[in-house]
Amino acid sequence: MCLTHNFWGFFVPGLANGFLYALIALGYTLVYGVLQLINFAHSEVFMSGGFAGLFTLNWLIGKHHPAGMSSVGYVVIGCVAGAVGGGVVAYLLERVAYRPLRRRHAPKLAFLISAIGASYFLLNLAGKEFGRDSRPIAQPFTQTQTDPLFKIFGTGVSLYYAVIAVVAIIMLVMLDRLVNKTRLGQGIRAVAQDADTAGLMGVDINRVIAQTFIVGGLLGGAAGFLYGLGPANVSYTMGFTPGLKAFTAAVLGGIGNIRGAMLGGLLLGIIENLSVACISPSWVDVVSFFILVLVLLVRPTGILGERLGRSA
Amino acid sequence: MLNRRVVLTVVPLVVAGMALSACGSSKKSSSGGSSSSGGSTAAGGNKPTFKIAYQGPLSGGNAQLGLNMKFAVELAINEANAAGDLPFKLEYTESDDQGDGKVSPTAARKLIDDKSVIGVVGPAFSGATKAAEPLFADAKLATVSPSATSPTLADGGWASFFRVVADDNAQGPADADYAVKKLGAKNIYVIDDASAYGQPLSKAFGDQAKTDGAQVTSESAPGTTQCQAGQGNAQQYPALATKIKGSGADTVFYAGYYCDFALLAKALKAAGFSGNLFSDDGSLDPKYIEQAGADVAEGTYISCACADISTNSAAQDFITKFKALAKFDSGTYSPEAFDAANTIISVLKKIGPSATREQVIEGLKTVDYKGITKEVKFESNGNIAGTSVYIYQVKGGKITSLGLANT
Repeated sequence: MCLTHNFWGFFVPGLANGFLYALIALGYTLVYGVLQLINFAHSEVFMSGGFAGLFTLNWLIGKHHPAGMSSVGYVVIGCVAGAVGGGVVAYLLERVAYRPLRRRHAPKLAFLISAIGASYFLLNLAGKEFGRDSRPIAQPFTQTQTDPLFKIFGTGVSLYYAVIAVVAIIMLVMLDRLVNKTRLGQGIRAVAQDADTAGLMGVDINRVIAQTFIVGGLLGGAAGFLYGLGPANVSYTMGFTPGLKAFTAAVLGGIGNIRGAMLGGLLLGIIENLSVACISPSWVDVVSFFILVLVLLVRPTGILGERLGRSA
Repeated sequence: MLNRRVVLTVVPLVVAGMALSACGSSKKSSSGGSSSSGGSTAAGGNKPTFKIAYQGPLSGGNAQLGLNMKFAVELAINEANAAGDLPFKLEYTESDDQGDGKVSPTAARKLIDDKSVIGVVGPAFSGATKAAEPLFADAKLATVSPSATSPTLADGGWASFFRVVADDNAQGPADADYAVKKLGAKNIYVIDDASAYGQPLSKAFGDQAKTDGAQVTSESAPGTTQCQAGQGNAQQYPALATKIKGSGADTVFYAGYYCDFALLAKALKAAGFSGNLFSDDGSLDPKYIEQAGADVAEGTYISCACADISTNSAAQDFITKFKALAKFDSGTYSPEAFDAANTIISVLKKIGPSATREQVIEGLKTVDYKGITKEVKFESNGNIAGTSVYIYQVKGGKITSLGLANT
């Protein structure tokens, strides 16, 4: 009943959430591909992107009033700022928290602890430097642009959701091409398949790993900006829940599998919103993790399966 | 979590340091016997030092509410010392519980172990009070909360528990009456943040609204991790807003704190909801307007058992001095915290320099102190005697008082 009544009204925001989860989940899955490690500091990469977008847009829009085409410009600038912020933090993370350990051939547990430490460091640094309150990003849209842009089956789709979908689809397609068609993509796949052999064949492993972190950071940072632009605001703890959910999405789709992360993210976002519709917000996590367990019981490696080093 | 742990390991060291410097008064409170030698200590230049502590959130998403109270307590202590007629010296100390029931027992332990702490203003939040109050009761250390409004707190049987605000049993029904009878609400969607504070309030509101003849839908949306130590996800709000819009509700009542309320309000606006927004004292903070955006917040009704002191002539001095000390305007629960601290000080004055923790509790039971918000007198369960709930509205980007709810 809850599904027949206003199904699309829940589906559209769920899809938008799903795109954000997918963008973040790719950061987990890409790093898992090359290192076989979960980068637990990725939620702070996401948060950094949110703050980079916040500062850039609040600084720009403080002076000008957005109107017409300039709105598009602000959104693009915000995404770029978020992506750059996320990319820079992800790169630094790799240099400071991962590479020194890799050079010393540290056990996997050490990487995990190092990532968690970096995560807490970044979290508290942001809280100290940027304040503990949640802060809204200056809206790049004019008043009329918050009205529904177009309708799907009677449900108005706001510009915000449309922006998320467009940005996410562009980034997902670019990533797919990057991994499958470019030299860097070949490197990422080679390292994922067998790092030692790739090294012997002349692939600069450290370089490939650093670039993988940066690519994941670009996606996660842009997602951070888009997340903060909506009703969620930007705060130093904003990364925690979306990070956890995106990690779940990556496992749901098949960790290390790029298309799996996209699929897992979209599914999780939609499932969550429909469980708000049918049950209650306090049951969202119960429903989504129940479905995760069910899927893992049937397919222990996720819906599309764990898949390292093969073009998706 | 880890940062808290680190803080908690450092705390004992700090406390140990304090204990060394304060062993004089620690003997007094541990001896426990009510003394008759009151006059003798005051004679010398060697006045004893008592600490009045503040416990509440000083970090985390709701830190602003905590800071509103912290500076009021500091101000009360500074003024009492400056008056020069005290037979003892007062000092301020604080303990950050982040408004979180998981942290507050440790924060309380810090204050209890410091034997020179004679009375506590706080804990600020209901969940934090519920978790910490058994410890305070065991240590016979009086706590006067300026803001914990959960009704169940008075049923705990804790002799140490006092509060200078009306509980939600007063606030919830008064809000419901106002929404239904004054604002003409017919279909109300009630949402709480699944906290010890929000849930009883939403229930009290919902029950009364039903009695008044309105249709009520209730739902829990757990507070988000980015606002408080909740489990919720900020992305629940757009879907919830769609659900509320689809239910045809004309009024939304939110039982929770401003940070999450701001997120919900934004989502409701984005979903095209145009009815009345109504929330409780946890949302009575200018940060709500800042975080939701002025156009979203405009017109929101907010209730509070706290009085609007801007028109109260006795409070003008407090308002100026608060600003000078805190460097920001006094906010929600600042005057209540000021009254709570002054109530403890007035009890101490009566007992004199030999005061013990037990004597402060006994003194509070019979206190009658005229504060800037109300006359402070406690019932036997620690509740403030007499209740009054005020309604506020966001107008032109500012929170303005509409007066008492039942007028």
